[in-house]
Amino acid sequence: MPPRLEVDLAPSHKRGLALRNPVMPASGTFSWGLEFAKQFGVEGLGAVVSKGVTWEPRAGNRQPRVAETPAGMLNSIGLQNIGINAVIDEMAPAWAKWDVPVIVNIAGDTVDEFGRMAALLDGVPGIAALELNISCPNVDQGGIEIGQSAEASARATRAAVRNTDLPVIVKLTPNVTDPVGLALAVEEAGANAICAINTVLGMAIDTKRRRPVLPRARGGLSGPAIKPIALRIVYDVANAVRIPVIGCGGISTGLDAVEFLMAGASAVQVGTATFANPRAPLDVVDELTAWLEREGVADVNEIIGCARPAAVAG
Amino acid sequence: MNIETATLLSNEPAYEGARIAWLHAPGVSANVQPGQFVMVHCSHDGLDPMFARAFSYYRVDGDRFAILYNVVGKGTGWLAERGRGDQVRVYGPLGNGLRLPDQAGNLLLIGGGVGIAPLVDTAERAIAAGHQVVAMMGARTAAHLLPASAWPKEVEYVVVTEDGSARPKGFVTEHLGQYQEWASRVYACGPSAMFESLANVLRQNGRRQRPEILMEENMPCGWGMCYGCAIFTKHGVRLCCKDGPRFNLFDVF
Repeated sequence: MPPRLEVDLAPSHKRGLALRNPVMPASGTFSWGLEFAKQFGVEGLGAVVSKGVTWEPRAGNRQPRVAETPAGMLNSIGLQNIGINAVIDEMAPAWAKWDVPVIVNIAGDTVDEFGRMAALLDGVPGIAALELNISCPNVDQGGIEIGQSAEASARATRAAVRNTDLPVIVKLTPNVTDPVGLALAVEEAGANAICAINTVLGMAIDTKRRRPVLPRARGGLSGPAIKPIALRIVYDVANAVRIPVIGCGGISTGLDAVEFLMAGASAVQVGTATFANPRAPLDVVDELTAWLEREGVADVNEIIGCARPAAVAG
Repeated sequence: MNIETATLLSNEPAYEGARIAWLHAPGVSANVQPGQFVMVHCSHDGLDPMFARAFSYYRVDGDRFAILYNVVGKGTGWLAERGRGDQVRVYGPLGNGLRLPDQAGNLLLIGGGVGIAPLVDTAERAIAAGHQVVAMMGARTAAHLLPASAWPKEVEYVVVTEDGSARPKGFVTEHLGQYQEWASRVYACGPSAMFESLANVLRQNGRRQRPEILMEENMPCGWGMCYGCAIFTKHGVRLCCKDGPRFNLFDVF
């Protein structure tokens, strides 16, 4: 018997968010999914997560946008995207034909805008859930400003939840002293799930030019370099909240996914790994399945949170 | 796109600072258009550097392809030390290639430095299709020039060096001379400064040749996933890997 891989990421929501397996791409590492669908198909994934969409189209930041670091990368893309109307008109019709839930990542400039975007996407065929991007470090407004305050994060969550019947996931920044406080605040505000983490603020210097490599100096660090940070935050958050947590940060292999599941994540997102290995999210599904078979685990839910303090003490 | 493990067949110096590597990789060598590119992983563990490097196809021959590359950093430094029999992960072909005219024409190919790489494959295909080809290469010094033997014998090869160690001296775009009038189409690959100066020169003849260029930008993924390789054109932002690397010169410069 192949192991059971289904997970529900929104048990507190009337419709739920059932995934055939707990692996999805991370926002901003998968564009709108159309390239991947054409190349490999998306039906082997648990879900698709779109690039961050803003109210108006955005051209993004100037070059250089990326600095490679050992086992990681710093990015400062700046939310280049086609805007919410083009997503509804041009992308959602394609998503509606897929047999996989599509989660749209929305990046509002203000708390209010999260509400307006949630309202506009409500009921659009092809969209299964929303992920609130309150944690992008590469833009001047919104994003991380909201995500660094528990109170503002809760208001953005409430604005979205009130304006949509879709499940709402909130993606947290690691660039705070108390991610658990943020998680509890958005849970209280009605979030159906939490995604942790967005990129870690970092920087690199071009010693020849004697200047920061990235034009905005700081960028978001991702890749295997941040995996231990992400894992620690997932462990802490999953131990504090009752809603599901989606682990994200440096996951490249099935074994990485197993670690996050054991720490308490109900699903994982594969991000930067896809830039190095185009098949990465599908490879993680295959490797996770093989690991469960090898270990004789009949249902992936059996290992979710098995390394958490309560489970270990019990 | 195909993903496979390629076997290195050879990896020899081409000119000062540059090497030519031949790789056996049937999937990545199939259905290649001139000007497309291939991603080659350049580390043992995929961690430092993590991302594959983008290289133009320098030549394609059946189940194998060659790249011409400058040894500039950690990735290409690692690649330079590989030898026959070593294996590397590759994926491609990627991007939009050059469009050669249907009817026989006079094609002027202009390469700046290692930007000459895709133009050798382009020249081979153009000659086979019955076009006349002049290839011009601009380099810092004579030691940085691709040897004439790299080209099909039908190609007229013109070189320009910045220090005059091979004549004429200067930048390649200063020496288009008679070829500018002769050419029915122009294809170029090189640094931005070369494209800018090429645009200025060709504007004076009414942009007759509809020049196509192959651009380079740091490409972590190579297929439109990361949005790292943005090119700001007159019609908005484009991704070098997915929307390019072929652009119309006057759409960008």
